[in-house]
Order: sequence, then structure tokens, then C-alpha cells
Amino acid sequence: MRERSLQENLMKAVFLISTLISILTVALICLFLFANGIPAMGKIGFYQFLLGREWSPSDLPPAFGILPMMLGSLYVTAGAILIGVPVGILTAVFLAKVCPKPLYRVLKPAVDLLAGIPSVVYGFFGLVTIVPMVRMLFGGNGSSILAASLLLGLMILPTVIGITESAIRAVPGELYDGAVALGASHERAVFRVLLPAAKSGILAAVVLGIGRAIGETMAVIMVAGNQARMPEGIFKGVRTLTANIVLEMGYAAELHREALIATGVVLFVFILLINLLFSALRKGGRP
Amino acid sequence: MRQKITDTLLRVATWLAAALTFGALFFLIAYILTRGIPYIKPSLFALHYNSQNVSLLPALVTTVLMVLLSLAVAVPLGLFTAIYLVEYAKRGNPLVRMVRMTAETLSGIPSIVYGLFGMLFFVTWLGWGFSILAGTFTLAIMILPLILRTAEESLKAVPDTYREGAFGLGAGRLRTVFRIVLPAAAPGILAGVILAVGRIVGETAALTYTAGTVAQIPESLMASGRTLSVHMYALSSEGLYTGQAYATAVVLLVLVAGINTLSAALAKKIGKG
Amino acid sequence: MKQTITLLLAALMLLMAVTGCTQGGAQDAGKNITVVSREDGSGTRGAFIELFGVEAKGEDGSKKDMTTKEALIVNKTDVMLTNIAGDPNAIGYVSMGSLNNTVKALSIDGAAATAANVQNGSYPIARPFIIATRDDVSELAQDFIRFILSKEGQAVVGGSYTAVDENAPAYEGVKPEGKISVAGSSSVTPIMEKLKEAYLTLNPKAAIEIQMSDSTAGMTAAMEGTCDIGMASRALKESELAQLTGTAIALDGIAVIVHPGNPVVDMTGEQVRSIFTGETTTWEGLQ
Repeated sequence: MRERSLQENLMKAVFLISTLISILTVALICLFLFANGIPAMGKIGFYQFLLGREWSPSDLPPAFGILPMMLGSLYVTAGAILIGVPVGILTAVFLAKVCPKPLYRVLKPAVDLLAGIPSVVYGFFGLVTIVPMVRMLFGGNGSSILAASLLLGLMILPTVIGITESAIRAVPGELYDGAVALGASHERAVFRVLLPAAKSGILAAVVLGIGRAIGETMAVIMVAGNQARMPEGIFKGVRTLTANIVLEMGYAAELHREALIATGVVLFVFILLINLLFSALRKGGRP
Repeated sequence: MRQKITDTLLRVATWLAAALTFGALFFLIAYILTRGIPYIKPSLFALHYNSQNVSLLPALVTTVLMVLLSLAVAVPLGLFTAIYLVEYAKRGNPLVRMVRMTAETLSGIPSIVYGLFGMLFFVTWLGWGFSILAGTFTLAIMILPLILRTAEESLKAVPDTYREGAFGLGAGRLRTVFRIVLPAAAPGILAGVILAVGRIVGETAALTYTAGTVAQIPESLMASGRTLSVHMYALSSEGLYTGQAYATAVVLLVLVAGINTLSAALAKKIGKG
Repeated sequence: MKQTITLLLAALMLLMAVTGCTQGGAQDAGKNITVVSREDGSGTRGAFIELFGVEAKGEDGSKKDMTTKEALIVNKTDVMLTNIAGDPNAIGYVSMGSLNNTVKALSIDGAAATAANVQNGSYPIARPFIIATRDDVSELAQDFIRFILSKEGQAVVGGSYTAVDENAPAYEGVKPEGKISVAGSSSVTPIMEKLKEAYLTLNPKAAIEIQMSDSTAGMTAAMEGTCDIGMASRALKESELAQLTGTAIALDGIAVIVHPGNPVVDMTGEQVRSIFTGETTTWEGLQ
């Protein structure tokens, strides 16, 4: 009896320490970002940085306004969500509830495979397939918000599908059976009973998907055009915050580099706000 | 009648979404295969890299090593933290919400920021230099939120009735967790691990700043090395070896498929037990 | 069964639609020129804008890059090549060592873009590859540099780029043992790897490690002592010259490239400048 108590307490301590280490790691990264970024914002001037419309770091004197990039990130991510989330959730429903078993054995590993394809490959794929398609259908040169949204939507599919499907499968079978027994059609049972029950998991999937979309760089750089100016419509190119960091981090020195880290801070705050929003949504929906 | 129409619409939408997803997927895979397979030669798998054969074998070895090491660091950490948050912490504890919030936020930070952090902290400050170790820890930090969140969700999805049943039979909390809850949550946790593996294998920016880009098999954990993704990036950078870059992508695909199949088999085994 | 067929048909239609739209057609003279440029801190871009006068210099020492804000920005050579190869209306620039037959290099002011013309000076658009070291550099590093600047080393360079010194002396070195690391520009890495292999056949006792990143990271590493030799594809900044000594090891021409189907074969420097600053926007507007 006593042995078990000792073992129990030991493991509880192990779990607690793990949690503390995790928190420490998170704190460390936040510290790094803010300690480097905030002073840079101060040196440039908060308003000039956040609301400035001109980004020309190599000019003498340089300009460090990131508003064009913030809008670029916003539009591209919104587009990716509009495309990726509905398709992802519906495909997850398909995999979990509609798909015949033999087909599933082929399709599920295929979706997992999608998750492992390097961003660079997605980027090239987008460049030779999506960009010419946009160019042909809508004019311009193809590298645009639309192309980036389409590609990103594709890229977040594995995340959204994978986690949503797990969430749907984790819902106890009795809920579905009960609904059908009460006379609901297959679709009604799925969309009105299963999905709401899996809500927590689905929201987690969406948030992680958004995170992936905002943080994606390599692929977006190849299809979005990367013009560092205010967005001019979905058929024209833009530059996202992440693209800005990657394009210039290699050559940036001193203040320029710190300005890019400050961009990382902005991204962090962006995502924090989105998470808070979703958290509020999650709470609101609870009965 | 309206219900019937909604039903049909939903059914069509579901099929359409699936068709779109898998159409795009197969097209993508076909694209990689057609571009890469012609360039797969035995010389591509030579033990030593030189600028003639641009062998990817060292990169392959490094990739497998990195995946295993990063998982070895991140999975216990993430899993144990999730266990604590779900099984031990009181429900509604603000600590839980805080950890969840920061974990989800962290997963959105672009990998290059992790790379910079890794470079400044592991490579420079701790003095590890460009090394597998620095790369591993940086990657582990990167996938920690993913593992933590999916593990947490999977554990939460296990109905309380399972736990109550176990307690009712006299099992302690620890035993309940390891024997009842974890196996039930295993598929979901493994789904998170698979996503994490995908992320590691596809990562480039974070690694070039921490593990370096040396194209030989690393002799030790403190040596530098490049993964398949970094190898691909390096090959395609100057437009000189595009064919071989695609060949590398093909090998990557096979590797990921292999790892995924393994994990799925593992999940099945644990779930049954 | 019916559903499986529907699924397959839908996927097939998607495939056909996308494949059909991939190939670009003939160039349309009335269409807008798609200007493609490298990222802000790229050594290639820096050389390009200076040599073609796209960079405006003020009297007070200020410099402004006048590249049009509508220019597509790409951050890797192969993305540049893919963009030009896929868009009949595009124009861009690339290192001569990376030219392939998916694009066409224009002659500038009558001189064709060949390594020979860079050598004899008739094609002046070229920039040096520079290696940098601190003063306390090791014996092996010094010997390696001696090799690079020798006849044998320059012969290796001459294979794909332009040698800096036609009449370099034959290599005579002490061939010491040891290990050195070389880090920096991804543009210089390919030639550095060839130089390393050639050197190792003469001195098998040495170990040379090459890290590829970018010019600035290479210079920083050299200054901090993290590597022995830094590589750059641009001129050294003042802050770098304070601690490092730079040596040119090769000359790399920059080619102005267009789609192979583009009827234009020759341009004057002034025409290039007006296109890249956005003054000329259509192909027929070219005078």
C-alpha cells in the first residue's frame, strides 16, 4: 500500500515538473521575442512601425513601417481559413462517417502524408500550377492573394482534417445511435449531434490550422508576389509578415534585424488575440 | 421536405470537399513523383556526399536521427504535462487555461523565429555550436505545443465513466491513467505525434540556423548535419540540381509514409491492449 | 458504388482543369511587363541596381532603390527561373553561373551574356565573390586561400564563373593538417564546394566544413570566430571591413532574362533601367 503511495506521489511530481518545464520553455521564447523586439519598436517609433505604410530598410535613411505586411497576412490568412476550414471539416466528416472501409485504408494515410510534404515542395507546386491557373482565369501575373490563399488552404487541410476526425471519432457512438433511433437522418445526426459534441476538438483543430497558416513562410513566398506595398485587390500580390522576416533576415544587420524580430512579436500578439477570441467562443457555446 | 433538401446539400458538400481534397492531394503526389523519380540513381545514396553525386544518404540518416531525438524530448514532456493538466489539476484551474493559451499561440510563430531563438540560445549562449543537439532541442520546442494540445484534447475526450469505473474497482490514479485512460486516448495522441513528425521532416528555416547544413553523416551529437528538407532546399537554391531536389522529395515522401504507417500500427496495438 | 464513381469523376475533372491551364501561351505585346526582382538585401540585386542605375544616389550620400513597387519579389534563384520560364511577359535577372535553357539571356548594349564577355569587359554587369577572414586566421585557412587564388584554383573557378586573375601563379603550399570551417553566401557555396574538393586531392590531411546560409550570416560568423572563412556575394559593409579582410575570388556575371518565347533579344542599359523602375510598363512601350 505504501509503495503505491510513494510511486503515485513520485509520478505526480514528475508530471508537475514537466508542466513547469513546458511553461518555462514558453516563457523563455516570449522573453527572447519581447526583449529583442520591444526596444527596436521604441527606436523606430511605435506609430511609425505599426502604422507606417513604407518598408524600405536598405534606403538611407531607412523606413520600417509594417502596415502593408499586416494587411497582407490578414487577407491571406482569412482566405486560407475560408477555403481550408469548411473543406477540412467536411472531409473529416467524410472520412469518419461516410467513407467505405477499403477506401479509408487508402485515403487516411494519404492525408497524413500531406502533412509531411515540405513547404518548399508546396511552394513549387503552387508556382507551377496555381499561379498560372490564376493568371489564366483572372489576368495579372498570377502571384496574388488568391493564389496564396488557395495554397495555404491546401496546406492546413491535414491539420484540420486530422484533428477534427479524431475529435469526431472520440464522440461516444451512443450519441449518434441515439439520434438515429429518434428518427434523425444520417446527415442530421452527424451535423446536429456529432459535430457540436466534438466542438472542443474541432475548435482546437481550427486554431492550430490558423496558427499554421499565419506562420507558414516558404510556400507563401513563392506564390504571393511579395510586393512590400499596401494590398491592391485579391488578384494582385502582397507580402505577409512572415515572408518579410524570411526574405530579409539573411541580410539584415542591427536595427533591421531587430525590426524583424519585432515583427515576430506582432505575430505573437496577433495569434494570442485570435486564441482569446476562440476561447471566448468556446465558453459561450457551452450549455 | 426542406430537411431532405438540406440533407442532400450536406451530402453533396461532403463528397465535393472530399473530392477536392483528394484530387489536389493525388495531383501533388503525382507532381513530385513525375519530377523526382527519373533522378533516383544509386549514386544518390552514396555514403559520402560530394558535389558530383549530391548524395542524400547523410541527410536521410540525419533526418531519422532528428525525428527520433526530438520526439524523445518533446513527447514525454508534452504528454506528462497534458496528463497533469487533465488528470491532476483541478478543473477550471487558471494554470490550465494559461498553458493552453500560450501553447496554441506558440504553434503559430513562424519557424524562422524558433530558428533565431535556437541560434542565439543553444548555439551561441550555451555554446553548443551548429549541432544536432541544438537542432533537436529547437525542434522539440517547436512541436511541444502541438503534442501538448492534441494529447490534452485526447485525454479530455475519454469519458469520466472510464475513470470512475476504475476508481470504483479500487485502482489508484496513476494506475487508472496508465492502464485505462492512456490506451483509450492513444489514437488521438498518436495523431498529434504524426502531425509533429510531419512538421519536423518538413522543417527547413529553423534547422539552417541551429543544426547547420553540413552534408556528411554527423559523427556525434555535437556535430552539424542537414536533414532531407534542408538538403532539398540547398540543392534547389541555385537552380543547379532541381532534378535531384525532387528526387529528395520523393525519398522524403516514402520516409513520412513509412513513419506514419508505423505509428498507426503502434496506435492499434496500444488501443487494443 | 455510385458514390465512388462520383468521387473519382470529380477528382478527374479537377485534374483536367488544372493541367489544362498550366502552359503559358505566346507573349502578348500589349500586356503588362511582369518585373521580377530578388529580395531587398540580395547581393545579386544590390549589384544589379547599382550597375543599371536603378539605384538613385543623392548628393547627401543617401541611396534609394527605385525598383518599382509592383515588382514580384523572389528569394531564390530557382524560383526566379521558374517564374520567368512560366510567364511570357516576365523579365528578371540571375547569376550567370545559374543560367539554364528554360530562360533566355538578353544581350546588353550588343554584348552577349557569356563568361568570355565578362572576362574581356564587354559585358560589364558582374559582381565579385568575396571571401573574408580576420587577421588571426589559421595556417590551413591561409593555405586554402592561397590555393583558391592560384592557377589551379582559378582554373576550377573558370569552369562555371569568371576567374579574377588570368595569370595566377601555380599553387605552392605547405599543405598543413587541420580543420577549418567556411560559412556564408548560398551563391558562393557551389563553387566553394568544387574548390574544396580540388584542394583535398592535393592535401588529403585537411578537413574543410562548408556551412551554407547567406552573406551576412557568413560575415558575422567570421567576425565572431565561429568560422574561419566567410563567403559573400556582395561588397563588404563598413562595419565588416573594420574587422575583416576581403579578397575577391571570382567574378560572376548577372544575366537579364526573359521567357524563351519573347521576341526581344537585345536591350540597352537604359531600357532595362526604365523597365525596372516602372517607367516602361508594356512590351510595346519599349523604345
